[in-house]
Amino acid sequence: MTKNIKYGLILLSICAVCAFALAMTNSITAPVIQMQDEMNQKMALEAVSNGWTIGTRTEVTGQDHVTYTIDLLDKDSVAGYIVGLTSSGYGGQMTLVASYTDAGEMLFAQLLTHSETPGLGKKAEQEGYMDKFKGSGSDKPVPTSKTMLSDADAQAVSGSSVTFTAVAKAIAAGSEYVKSLGGAR
Amino acid sequence: MKANIKELTKGIFKENPVFVIVLGLCPVLGVSSQVSNAIGMSAGVMFVLLFSNIIISALRKVIPSSIHIPAYIVVIASLVTITEMVMHAFVPSVYSALGVYLPLIVVNCIILGRAEAFASKNTVVDSILDAIGMSIGFALGITLIALIRELFGSGTITLFPMGNFSGVINIPWFYDNPIRVLALAPGALLIMGYLKAFFDWNTSRKKDK
Repeated sequence: MTKNIKYGLILLSICAVCAFALAMTNSITAPVIQMQDEMNQKMALEAVSNGWTIGTRTEVTGQDHVTYTIDLLDKDSVAGYIVGLTSSGYGGQMTLVASYTDAGEMLFAQLLTHSETPGLGKKAEQEGYMDKFKGSGSDKPVPTSKTMLSDADAQAVSGSSVTFTAVAKAIAAGSEYVKSLGGAR
Repeated sequence: MKANIKELTKGIFKENPVFVIVLGLCPVLGVSSQVSNAIGMSAGVMFVLLFSNIIISALRKVIPSSIHIPAYIVVIASLVTITEMVMHAFVPSVYSALGVYLPLIVVNCIILGRAEAFASKNTVVDSILDAIGMSIGFALGITLIALIRELFGSGTITLFPMGNFSGVINIPWFYDNPIRVLALAPGALLIMGYLKAFFDWNTSRKKDK
């Protein structure tokens, strides 16, 4: 019994020292990481804004994939929206932003955070990956399965179907949400 | 002094963790698609191995044998998490490139293997030398595989971007005539196999002498 208590205390001491070291490291790195995330998000918003002015952000609740929208203004009138999206990929939750016309047509999209497998799902962060969804959502449907893609695009997402489906579902949900806003809000 | 040098150099060739002991192959095969990834992974492994060896060697008389595995795992997992946080904050491109392989250093057999086989039985100084030697051996192994795969598979050598330098060096001829399979996952196994065969042949040749 005494031996077990001694072992427990040794492990507790090791855990306490490790926890202290982790807390110290976190206190140094967390503000830097937060600053980087904010900068990345700002750059992503600029990249998908289609040259329009980024307006006010509105939080969205009760939706499966949509977390917020940001108005895109062209000469003071709402021309489209940036939509903040979440989805479940192979490695867990992923977040992305996509811009749409007010008719729900996707213009640009960019992956923000994810834990997808390098060489497979991680390809979703590459430039050009989101091109297969461009122009969809209004007149033509968002491709949510590989059969809706061209042979070259289907080949490109081969081995990472879960990631592709997750991104596609999020983009389709964003488009539907923008359409539900009924044009200019 | 001679013993110290032996302790330091054994991990580089004679007991190379990648080609001779064959430990930690998961990150070696997974991350060796680019030289920059290999260097980043080597730096992570070096940091974790060095400090885990120091801590475990220093505590070897305090940690009872019946709880040594959970104690080692707590120490190693904490060091890996610290490495992850530091890389995320200060070298985000490497952090992003290493992806899931960075937290997987926790279960890298080299770290636990050296803690169990060496640090728990030897002095702090010897453990430091062992960690440095093994880390250099690991770095040489993974970087050699990455260099061959990237040069022949993509015709490039990817380092870290600095100022106007993008970090990518295009190698003439190789860039226009890449052997694509080497850049893909099977390429890692092929290169690993040939290099392992070379190391085995070299070892047996020395034994015959």
